[in-house]
Amino acid sequence: MANVEGRATAITVLTPVKPLGRFVLPIVFWIGRHVSATLKKLQMLSFIHFARWIVIPSFPGGEKPRYRYLFFESNFNGLWDQYIDAFSEVVPERMRGIWGTSYGFPGPIPVEPFKRYIRANEYVANHYWSAYPGATTTEIIASQRVVAALEDLRNRADGMSPEEFHREYQRMLWSVQGDL
Amino acid sequence: MSRNVSGQAYALTVLTPITDGHQQALTDHLNALGEGDASPLARVPGTHIARWVVIDDLKFQGHGQRHHDKLSAPRLLFSSNFDGDLDGYLEGLRTGMAEDADAIWGHCRDYPGHENSGAFRAYMRAYQLEAALFFAAYGDQTVGEVKANVAQRRRLIDFALEGQGLDAATLKSRFLETF
Repeated sequence: MANVEGRATAITVLTPVKPLGRFVLPIVFWIGRHVSATLKKLQMLSFIHFARWIVIPSFPGGEKPRYRYLFFESNFNGLWDQYIDAFSEVVPERMRGIWGTSYGFPGPIPVEPFKRYIRANEYVANHYWSAYPGATTTEIIASQRVVAALEDLRNRADGMSPEEFHREYQRMLWSVQGDL
Repeated sequence: MSRNVSGQAYALTVLTPITDGHQQALTDHLNALGEGDASPLARVPGTHIARWVVIDDLKFQGHGQRHHDKLSAPRLLFSSNFDGDLDGYLEGLRTGMAEDADAIWGHCRDYPGHENSGAFRAYMRAYQLEAALFFAAYGDQTVGEVKANVAQRRRLIDFALEGQGLDAATLKSRFLETF
């Protein structure tokens, strides 16, 4: 299945937007870009690597459809069902803001009609590739913290007695134990 | 700052029209591309995660949507999440993929081929879409940093298990050797 590469899964969705979306979506995405709480909420969904939304008033090359289209893609680790469940549970108001002006959007809750809607508007990738297919988002973010602590100890280790080093090593492991 | 940028990560989205009669051949070619290191994307520096998707047509919802938009031609979506600036990446895409780029975008209208750097870049830019919102969970980390950090963390886990019970002097010397 081309939507999966190792532990990474792709979603690609394109939905037609009601005329009202012309005015609503610029505001919704302006808030998304400028109010840090929006992206922090996505950060809480700790299994998303990268996601993007695009409003398409006309397709490149000058093709102008009757409606605007909302493009969404996500790269996440885990199962498709879990991903949509989490979106529905954690950020339902943002889902309403983003897809509320798309034709046929049933709302994020209950989740089954929402899943059917995403499925109906999804395109399956023909080729999907990740530079690190075995790594999850949580692991990548945790690794950065671990390496910072490790390098800090490495930089100080030369000047320490073995006993001092042992204490600092234990302290370092303690500080990053949640990330190991 | 560009809406396509988050930290040092860039969201590239390119939507090119497929030449009449080429949709099936392109689809078959993409479906048959190798995975992992065998993918042509493995040769494009700075790529975190990328995809190609053949978009055969637009979906019709009903639910008050009265008109059914039809694309004048099916489209090829290429999207990539990569490190650094766009022009540098497009050059890496051109030189890294070389003939493999032609074997894909050669099925699209007006594709100039990979040999002329300026023409290739202009083509990709002409069919590029700008993100309204781009989220990158670790947009401050390059591909190289991600891989190195993940490997180092796994090394520390192994080391912590092996280091249990070592005396302080041996622990220190093994640590300095390993890290």
